[in-house]
Amino acid sequence: MITRPIPVPPKDARLNWHLDQPFRLKHLVIAVLLLVLLVVTGQRTEMDRMLAMTTEAVGNLVGLNDDSQVVRGLGKVADSMWPPTLATSEEAARLGDLDTDNLPWFSRIESTETVRQRLNTDTLELETTTETIEVLYRPMGYVQTVFVKMIETLEIALWGTLLAVSLSIPLAWFAASNYSPNRATYTIARGLISLLRSVPELIVALFLVLAYGFGPIAGVLALGLHAAGFLGKFYAEDIENADKHPQEALEAIGAGKIKTLWYAVMPQVLPQYVAYTAYILDRNLRMATVIGLVGAGGIGQELKGRFDMYDYGHVMTILIAIFLFVFVLDQISARIRARMI
Amino acid sequence: MNATPQTMVQLNGIGKTWPDGTRALNTVDLEVPEGQFCVILGPSGAGKSTLLRAVNGLMQPTEGKVNVDGIELTPGTEKALRKKVAMIHQHFNLATRASVAANVLSGALPDVSLARALCGWFHPEQRAKACHYLERVGLKPDHLRRRAGELSGGQQQRVGIARAFMLDPKVVLADEPVASLDPKISRDILALLRDAARDLNATVICSLHQVDLAREFGDRIVGMRDGEVVFDGTPDEFDEQRLNRLYHNADWGDGEPREDHPEAEAEPARHAAMGGA
Ligand SMILES: Nc1ncnc2c1ncn2[C@@H]1O[C@H](COP(=O)(O)OP(=O)(O)OP(=O)(O)O)[C@@H](O)[C@H]1O
Ligand SMILES: [Mg+2]
Repeated sequence: MITRPIPVPPKDARLNWHLDQPFRLKHLVIAVLLLVLLVVTGQRTEMDRMLAMTTEAVGNLVGLNDDSQVVRGLGKVADSMWPPTLATSEEAARLGDLDTDNLPWFSRIESTETVRQRLNTDTLELETTTETIEVLYRPMGYVQTVFVKMIETLEIALWGTLLAVSLSIPLAWFAASNYSPNRATYTIARGLISLLRSVPELIVALFLVLAYGFGPIAGVLALGLHAAGFLGKFYAEDIENADKHPQEALEAIGAGKIKTLWYAVMPQVLPQYVAYTAYILDRNLRMATVIGLVGAGGIGQELKGRFDMYDYGHVMTILIAIFLFVFVLDQISARIRARMI
Repeated sequence: MNATPQTMVQLNGIGKTWPDGTRALNTVDLEVPEGQFCVILGPSGAGKSTLLRAVNGLMQPTEGKVNVDGIELTPGTEKALRKKVAMIHQHFNLATRASVAANVLSGALPDVSLARALCGWFHPEQRAKACHYLERVGLKPDHLRRRAGELSGGQQQRVGIARAFMLDPKVVLADEPVASLDPKISRDILALLRDAARDLNATVICSLHQVDLAREFGDRIVGMRDGEVVFDGTPDEFDEQRLNRLYHNADWGDGEPREDHPEAEAEPARHAAMGGA
């Protein structure tokens, strides 16, 4: 083995090199400016009041002070929401095709007395009459309704994703600068992608409900269009960043753009495409529960209706259902992901 | 072989000035007859890759004419010309995540309709040919379904050769095909390339950095430096003195000493820049 002494620079040696400290005055100024920005925006968003109210609520909960607006508000909501409504009862007379000998499962006919006040048009007085009406009582009826709505939500999410994928594949081709037929198609595709991405699903759905009416069509379209913008952008960027070597090999034999894309780019980008699509599916499943708030179908539409009618018991049932739904989906997707990796 | 083989590749006064002002090729004239194994030697930055890429139009020369098998390279004839000219690459240029079979078959893409290509529905003869060449380059049937990226460098270049022969090329361009392989495998690969080309009477133009391999496999050696052809002759004529002159700071007898090449240092950076272009 050859060992040589490590050279040490002579004492008076002067190097032309500089190795600066990582921070300078410039960085301090930036930090101060950021702090000022935080203070100003914090005040405008009432962060100070939020802090005070939250502290008050915590204090109230541990018994330090008597009153808290936040706790009172939450308590009122909780009171009216509990217990969640599980059953339905419908007036039997209104169910024209009800066969009393052959009732649906778990349901029964009950008689309830209702007190009705009616204005007598002759005497112009309120008359009180007591009526006994038969109702069809289904102990799990509302759970069933919510379940059906949940399935519809799932279907909206799936179709929204399907629509997004099929729109974004051609969009990505036009939006990839190295495969777009020309500059104009590239600009148009990029513009379209920005447009689709920039409008949130809820706002798109708001307008689509006007166009297509209440129901799942608007929901599917809203989810699909927004996600198509997202997927188009990411698919296109993957095409642009893909390894050039295999593409050059096919270009060298004159394979043509589409075939090159299919044989030299697709195999490389496919795993990423699957990951993006899985993310979009996940996102759409969550969004599909919300999008009904503007009338675009699914569980959200039911939620909005019940909320507006002050049926907080029903709202609670829906919220529990949404929570379970998202929880189960998370479990499933975690399993699938673990298996794929 | 014919007594007087016809010219297969003809380069007339090819010049290339890159947008940054680099003069990569300086009016190169080169005629390669049918069936010849022509090796191009020269230091890094000499313009070997640029010259090879001029033949199939991957690089647009700033001046000069390219003629392959009687077809002059123009935008209109590019597609027809490229079908006759296969290429083997230093970095193998396989779709690493795709199967070996898909990579070899992709060499036949210009002959397949778009619909068939998208379904992967190649003609039976093409499948048979892919298997034939894969066997010929020494791979096994169970390699067919493997991902190309899982193979060793030597195996990947074998796949690259099989892919190159899918269209029965008239000309095979090989740009440093064995640059990253060990000496034994390099020799095997070049032998494969030479033999496969001989069967088709295909012309090979191959740039190399290994002088011993160039002497062994080349029918002819073309030495390049600074974008010019400075040697052109048989391997026997390429003696030690000429070798030293080609690679070192040497006087070529025209009274003009040549300088060392700063480009050689900048090489990795340029490859990266090309990849991102
Ligand atoms: N895309 C490009 N843009 C600008 N300059 C380039 C480009 N490609 C090559 N060059 C320059 O052209 C000259 C010749 O390069 P070329 O790649 O042909 O050399 P080479 O002989 O193949 O070298 P090596 O043996 O290292 O592969 C070099 O000076 C290089 O810097
Ligand atoms: Mg090169």
